[in-house]
Amino acid sequence: MPVPEPESASAESQSLTKAQKKAEGRARQEQQRAAKAAQKQQQQSGQNAGSSSNKSKGSTVQKKPASESNKIPSAAASSSKDAPTTREGAVGADGLSDGPKSRGLRIFSHFGLPKTPGHQIKGDIHPAIVKLGLQFSEFKICGANARCIATLTAFKTVIQDYVTPPHNTLSRHLMTHLSPQITHLVTARPMSVTMGNAIRQLKLEISGSDIDLPEQDAKDALCQEIDNYIRDRIIIADEVIEDLAVKKIKDGDVVLTYARSSLVEKILLRAHALNKRFSVIVIDSRPLLEGKTLLHSLTSVIPPIPCTYALLPALPSLITDADIVLLGAHSLHANGSVYSRAGTAMVAMLAKEHSVPVMLCCETYKFSETVMLDGFGKNELAPMKFSPDAPKSNSNLEVLNPLYDSTPASCITAVVTEVGLIPPTSISSIPLALGRTTL
Amino acid sequence: MDDFQIYKSYQRLLKNEDLSTPLAAILALTEMMEQSNAGTMFELLTELKGAAEALSRQSLNPIGLKAGCELFIEFITLFPHDAASFSELKTELIRQGQRYAEQALAYRAKIAELAFDFIKDDSVVSSGFMFIDWHDEIDLHIQILTHSYSRVVLQTLLVAHKRKRISVFVTEARPRGMGIKTAEMLTAAGIPCTVVLDSAVAYAIDKVDFVLMGSEAVVESGGLVNAVGSNQIAIIAKAANKPFYALAESYKFHRMFPLSQYDLPSHNPGVLSFPQTMSARARPASSGLPSKASSVLSDNGSPIRITQEDIARNNPDVDYTRPDLISLVFSDVGSLTPEGVSQYLVGMFAG
Repeated sequence: MPVPEPESASAESQSLTKAQKKAEGRARQEQQRAAKAAQKQQQQSGQNAGSSSNKSKGSTVQKKPASESNKIPSAAASSSKDAPTTREGAVGADGLSDGPKSRGLRIFSHFGLPKTPGHQIKGDIHPAIVKLGLQFSEFKICGANARCIATLTAFKTVIQDYVTPPHNTLSRHLMTHLSPQITHLVTARPMSVTMGNAIRQLKLEISGSDIDLPEQDAKDALCQEIDNYIRDRIIIADEVIEDLAVKKIKDGDVVLTYARSSLVEKILLRAHALNKRFSVIVIDSRPLLEGKTLLHSLTSVIPPIPCTYALLPALPSLITDADIVLLGAHSLHANGSVYSRAGTAMVAMLAKEHSVPVMLCCETYKFSETVMLDGFGKNELAPMKFSPDAPKSNSNLEVLNPLYDSTPASCITAVVTEVGLIPPTSISSIPLALGRTTL
Repeated sequence: MDDFQIYKSYQRLLKNEDLSTPLAAILALTEMMEQSNAGTMFELLTELKGAAEALSRQSLNPIGLKAGCELFIEFITLFPHDAASFSELKTELIRQGQRYAEQALAYRAKIAELAFDFIKDDSVVSSGFMFIDWHDEIDLHIQILTHSYSRVVLQTLLVAHKRKRISVFVTEARPRGMGIKTAEMLTAAGIPCTVVLDSAVAYAIDKVDFVLMGSEAVVESGGLVNAVGSNQIAIIAKAANKPFYALAESYKFHRMFPLSQYDLPSHNPGVLSFPQTMSARARPASSGLPSKASSVLSDNGSPIRITQEDIARNNPDVDYTRPDLISLVFSDVGSLTPEGVSQYLVGMFAG
């Protein structure tokens, strides 16, 4: 791993950190003003920054007020909308108040609650990232692939707007510029495995970029690399997976799927375009009810695909009709367990119980080297806005909606990846087979 | 060489009793290369792929054959192109193909040695039994039954017989009835051997120490494609907690992932179909598959007869055994767990 912070150019880095501090203070001031926060710290430094800004990051800073004034009201609105339903425990887990944690979150507090990012823009955050952070925390962009593509696209803008400070090199400094952007996205919503893998690859590209390259060329090369990554690891991979998975759907089959995976949706639409006659059972569950979106896109093709829509409790009576189960994944771990939308494990287990083959559709860039034993070690809670009928604030009831769960490898028949159909137990040998040391 | 010719040479090669389908396919492809006048690697590969396609199209049960073709084409694709001219490279490839087939014949001895260590001598305990299902690896329509037996299982048993006391149950393996052939070979070698009915496997399983199974192909899930009946034996062995060992040379490893029995390439709509008269009249639940005596009359008065050919036509040649039913796969690359097989296959072909 390259050291992101250059040790040598000390004078420059000091002046830079000063500039950063100023910008930081300025940014904070803007948040405070926009969100009408009560604190009034660092007013002075904020004014200083206001008077003497635009030293190193001209366009970035200039753009910001406009875009933020666009964004902040929505964040404020969302937070005020959430306010009545926000529990004491939720606030406590946020770390925003010292109120007593309520009972439900005592076990699950490590999942963390999504924070409203408008309140805590720290450092020099690019407007594209601020916007993306809001879209993440509002679940406007949701799903591993969409988030990864959106992040990489936003990073392309950030990289293009980036200017290497004097006496510094892009390959050494850009990452220090990107780190707070990444941190900002992570505070908006925990980082997905896909984003982690993509960012790791991006870091590798940045540290490997040629020092002698003119800055614009280096930036263009990086953006090209990002485009290639999106194309090779996501878009083309999806096409290959579609081809492979469609072969397993036969005429007269009943395909069961859970919630909505962009990849499963593409597979089903492709199978339909190939004139396969099949019907789909969409199983869905609260709080996100993503299956409705899938149902809409499946029934709006011509002729519409025959669909059955049911909620998770109806699954046992429907699984017997299914010939094949198609599932999407958030990530796939080294021990073969699948981290996916909460409820997936139940579908997979029930399918195994009824000897229905379960095909998991997943690109190789979703593989993670970590081991996942259950859904409790790592998870994420759905924000309160997805549970409108939350109990009254005086009740002892706590609403808890984990977004993901972990499906054991034994419940998955096959994983469809762009390198072929493989059993989930063999995924750890894929990177090696592809000649990569990382995923 | 056209499609018909390559199939002819494939069939001719199969007459050699040592050659199993994947090896015969590899040799047929090398023969095609000898006659090919392709001028570039691309042309050659296109020809080879076409030939492999033609072979599998003409064969009734192309699974084993496909494994061989796939291996050979992969080998040619990855072969370093450092020869001075293409014709030299081609000669080299042909030589490599032939040498591989020669070397592959020694794999069975290697597997026999590996499996040998897992066969316990029953010097102390009461008699040990092995339970074997075997099948021919040659397509049905090639009527050369005398050559057909699971060579690797047989060789393993013969090796084991020299140094340990074993006795063997062999299933009849209907509809081809090849189990009888194995029983004869084993008896001739002095191995105590009994033929059991396919339907008596569950009865016999408690007397058995482990199950030894040949294979047509080992697929990417780590599962097994083998003569029909293998799957039910595996299920019974699992239920009785008996180890189920599969023997497979590495050229039978096949990059295919069947999700279920009906996902096999050998499955066709004719298998397990209901005869027209039956489906029109009888309810599916009370189908006429169990043989009815010829005295039973149909609606129009003609006697209903169900012949062996009818039964064979409606039944599959091979079935698929899930990886979780298999204890170990012995192959020339080592004793592998089913997961190990799939990792080996991913490593070989995924790149």
